[in-house]
Amino acid sequence: MMSLRLRLSLTLGGAFILIWILAAAWMLLDLRMQMMDSLDQRLAASARMVAGLMDQMEMPEQQGSGINAERLAVSSPMACEVSSLRGEILARSHNTPQSPLTADESGYRDQVINGESWRSFTLTHGEVRITTADRQQERDVLGRSVLLAASVPVLVALLGSLAVLWFVIGQGLAPLNRMRDALKRRNADSLEPLDVPGLPNELQPLLKTQNQLFQRIAQTLERERRLTGDAAHELRSPLTAIKTHLQVAQMTEGASRDKALAHAEEGADRMHRTLEQLLLLARVEGSLSFDDGVLCDAEKVARLAIHDAAHGNEQCIELIITPQVSTAPVEMPAVLAIAALRNLLDNALRHTAANTRVQLTLQTVAGQAHFLVRDHGAGIPEPDLDKLTQRFWRTGTSPGAGLGLAIVQAIVLRCACSLRFDSQSDGLRVELQMPLQGSSSPGTA
Amino acid sequence: MHVLLCEDDDLIASGIVAGLDAQGLTVDLVATASAARAMLAAAHFDVMVLDLGLPDEDGLKLLRQLRQQGIELPVLILTARDTVTDRVDGLQAGADDYLLKPFDLRELSARLHTLIRRMAGRSVNVIAHGCLTYDPSSREARLAGQPVDLSRREQALLHALLHNHGRVMSGEQLKDCVYGFGDEVESNALNVHIHHLRRKLGGGVIETVRGLGYRLGPAGHDTENLAQ
Repeated sequence: MMSLRLRLSLTLGGAFILIWILAAAWMLLDLRMQMMDSLDQRLAASARMVAGLMDQMEMPEQQGSGINAERLAVSSPMACEVSSLRGEILARSHNTPQSPLTADESGYRDQVINGESWRSFTLTHGEVRITTADRQQERDVLGRSVLLAASVPVLVALLGSLAVLWFVIGQGLAPLNRMRDALKRRNADSLEPLDVPGLPNELQPLLKTQNQLFQRIAQTLERERRLTGDAAHELRSPLTAIKTHLQVAQMTEGASRDKALAHAEEGADRMHRTLEQLLLLARVEGSLSFDDGVLCDAEKVARLAIHDAAHGNEQCIELIITPQVSTAPVEMPAVLAIAALRNLLDNALRHTAANTRVQLTLQTVAGQAHFLVRDHGAGIPEPDLDKLTQRFWRTGTSPGAGLGLAIVQAIVLRCACSLRFDSQSDGLRVELQMPLQGSSSPGTA
Repeated sequence: MHVLLCEDDDLIASGIVAGLDAQGLTVDLVATASAARAMLAAAHFDVMVLDLGLPDEDGLKLLRQLRQQGIELPVLILTARDTVTDRVDGLQAGADDYLLKPFDLRELSARLHTLIRRMAGRSVNVIAHGCLTYDPSSREARLAGQPVDLSRREQALLHALLHNHGRVMSGEQLKDCVYGFGDEVESNALNVHIHHLRRKLGGGVIETVRGLGYRLGPAGHDTENLAQ
């Protein structure tokens, strides 16, 4: 790719040259015409001057050939011939060609005599015809010297302009070069903001956008780094527990050995759960399809989620179904609907106070299924509500991996659901809305 | 040797406690930084194992605070954070060692012994006192080359006395070294252990400093000397 400077210089320089050439051609043509005009006028003036001189002389020897053309004081490159109306040559200047110049009519005329081009002017004055003439060749020589004299300054000006153009474009592009150099000097993985002093207004937004981009990339990288760190932590912790207890089991015997083995198994279970959740999250956030063609209505979703969350102890969750709930299937893969609700229930069970039940209320309004999960825990402080759905965020000593609500959020985003948290002193209420199929006609059938 | 373990993950903590206990170390467990502070104020510890992700505050903050207070207790950081920055931050905050999860219990135990040994200014693991030698990591005591069978309380007591070479230690200090914070200790238990040690290693091994406590007796070069 050609450099911007070269490209600009070539384009502008080309346009410059073209315009200057056209202007110069126009000027020179004009000049040439003016020059020919004045030369013609000089011919005419000379002829009239000769006529005037002849009047003054009042020559007695009119019939003779004694008129001395030199006395007619015609300037030397110009030829002059005086003839009678009958065509008899009365006088001629010494540089006049031998063949007669004289034309029959008055006025300007171009003619070729002895291979030379002449421009002549004939004036009929009384009894005589006076003809003055210029060699075309001399006119051409004069024209060329005028052309030369006029075109040298034009050429110098043109070259000067091109040089100035090259220099000014270079100067104008200097900020771009500074920016390029600043970018070049950077480390490939450096995300520090660029600092290029003295940038013109046009480039400021570019620099600003660039720096904002760097900043966003840095933030993304930092978030990913933290996420990997958190994931590593969540996987290493149960792994550590497993390994430690297995080693204890090797060192000990009897009851403490059995206890260590039981603990190791508990660690393995925890690791299994965390891995499953991480995988589910990755799949929900990815583009994999979950659609297995199974249609599931809202009540069935609720019952299956309760079954999964309760681990056999379904007494701990109270299901309240409002009358006339729609039997339309949910407008999303059933497995995701169940997973989302199940994670909400898991979370509620984990945080509800001892000996209290988690309530799940289901109603369908205007083509949407509303699942309201309510626990009897301590609730969440207002500022933490936003962090609830962050990956790996959890309150103090919570035993979860901090992935459950992140999974719910990912499903909500993927399947056009909505999620709302309302924390009060007597517990957290979470409302999950799912679209139902055929939502235009919320049926009660 | 008395270890303070600061770890909030129950499952990992119980494993470490059981493992270090099996290696003859006395371990007290706390799950929060505030509990760790209270524990450090209440009893003497030889070394601390610190997890960084504590629920109430960051382990590094606790560590910096301890160092500012001039507490020189050796600290080993035990964490799943594995980046170089994390390690450097940990060491700069005043940690003496850094161990990544998951780890090997034997390595943890060996590193703890090394930290204590360095603290005492020794470069080899085996502590020698005349013809009596004790290896804290294998918990093996030898008298003139012959192995002596000691109970774990006796081992801990001997280690504490050897570790504090020649310094007088009060009964309370010795109990801190031998028993965990939650252990039930009978009033004359320490005397019983001292009696047993004297019987197995010779009467001169522990000197009673009346009104103050106990200290290691003068080094003997044969069993006769110690048996005086």
